[in-house]
Amino acid sequence: MASPRTRSIAPPVAPPDLWDPVVRLTHWGVAVAVLLNALVTKGGSLTHVSLGWLVMALLLLRLVWGVLGPAEARFSAFPPNPVAAARHLRQLLSGQPGYYSSHNPAGALMVYVFWAALAVVTATGLILTGGATPMRVAAEKAAVASGDWSALIVKSDGESSDDEDKGLRHTAEEVHEVAANLLLFLAALHVAGVVLESRAMRRNLVKPMILGDAHRRK
Amino acid sequence: MTGAPDIRSAGRRQTMALSIFLLIQTLAAVFFVGDVIGDLREDPGSVHFIFEAFVTGTLVLGILFGAFALRRTIELLRAQDQALAVARGALSDVIDRQFQSWALTPAERDVGFLALKGLDVAEIAELRGAAQGTVRAQLTRIYSKAGVSGRAQFAAFFVEDLLGEGVPTQVAEAS
Repeated sequence: MASPRTRSIAPPVAPPDLWDPVVRLTHWGVAVAVLLNALVTKGGSLTHVSLGWLVMALLLLRLVWGVLGPAEARFSAFPPNPVAAARHLRQLLSGQPGYYSSHNPAGALMVYVFWAALAVVTATGLILTGGATPMRVAAEKAAVASGDWSALIVKSDGESSDDEDKGLRHTAEEVHEVAANLLLFLAALHVAGVVLESRAMRRNLVKPMILGDAHRRK
Repeated sequence: MTGAPDIRSAGRRQTMALSIFLLIQTLAAVFFVGDVIGDLREDPGSVHFIFEAFVTGTLVLGILFGAFALRRTIELLRAQDQALAVARGALSDVIDRQFQSWALTPAERDVGFLALKGLDVAEIAELRGAAQGTVRAQLTRIYSKAGVSGRAQFAAFFVEDLLGEGVPTQVAEAS
């Protein structure tokens, strides 16, 4: 990992003027869905489960894009490298951050942790709902609402013994909550990082994630 | 000169639309895969399951190809953007140098540029706040310094370099 090519020497053009549309869509999609599910929707509700599935799709698309996407969106442009991350943070503190054509090393590390947390949250969410798709959740809820409780019986009458099942569900619930809180913490850290970095680089880092200079006329 | 930004924003709109479509496809694929796994646990041998698994597999493949095509489009747009910027810079460099070698005065240079951009005498006069007669006299001096007969030849002087040997080859192809 000696001298990664993400380090541009001159002229300092970093990160891209405009992130590609898939990166922008998945970024804001995940941001909105995570915030909604953490702060607004009720756990286990149809909206909560649907948003969870949406996040799963967004995460998968972003991971596919990490292999197939343009250069700055690919994993190879921002390898996880704690040493480089620490170096970048030191540079940032001294007010002279380096320039990178993709995520900076500290940001890259956070991206990977964020994805891992997202994967954990969705996986535990799937365990909690028994892998039911939102359509199935809706159907079950409708059945229960109309007085047919058999949907609930079938579920608890599963293959494994009830105790084991309950233990797994309990653990999943705990992990689900801890990981969700971790997501919120990381999101706050991310916003703080963007503010700091934008100040240090004297460059608006938010704009490339929204519309870039699309409306600039020369 | 709004042509280039328009192409650019059209390209951006197009890639954004493709990305949204790709996202919807992914969402559908995720639902289908979830459904297929559910079926797999219930009855793996059924025709329904096999057919659904096949459709889902095709959908996933379609997403991968779509993502790849989108990447190519984005890279193509960027390359065109860059090429256009380089070409633009190069052409104005060439014009600048040529004007210098003809020893045009600053005012003549301005008028020459405007003439190359396709403005007529009245428009140039209005832009520069000068009389039309002045502009006409300046143009005449430019043409004589450049050794060309008039506006058409003056413009052709720069276009000719860009065309390279376009005329002979095309004639050869036509015959």
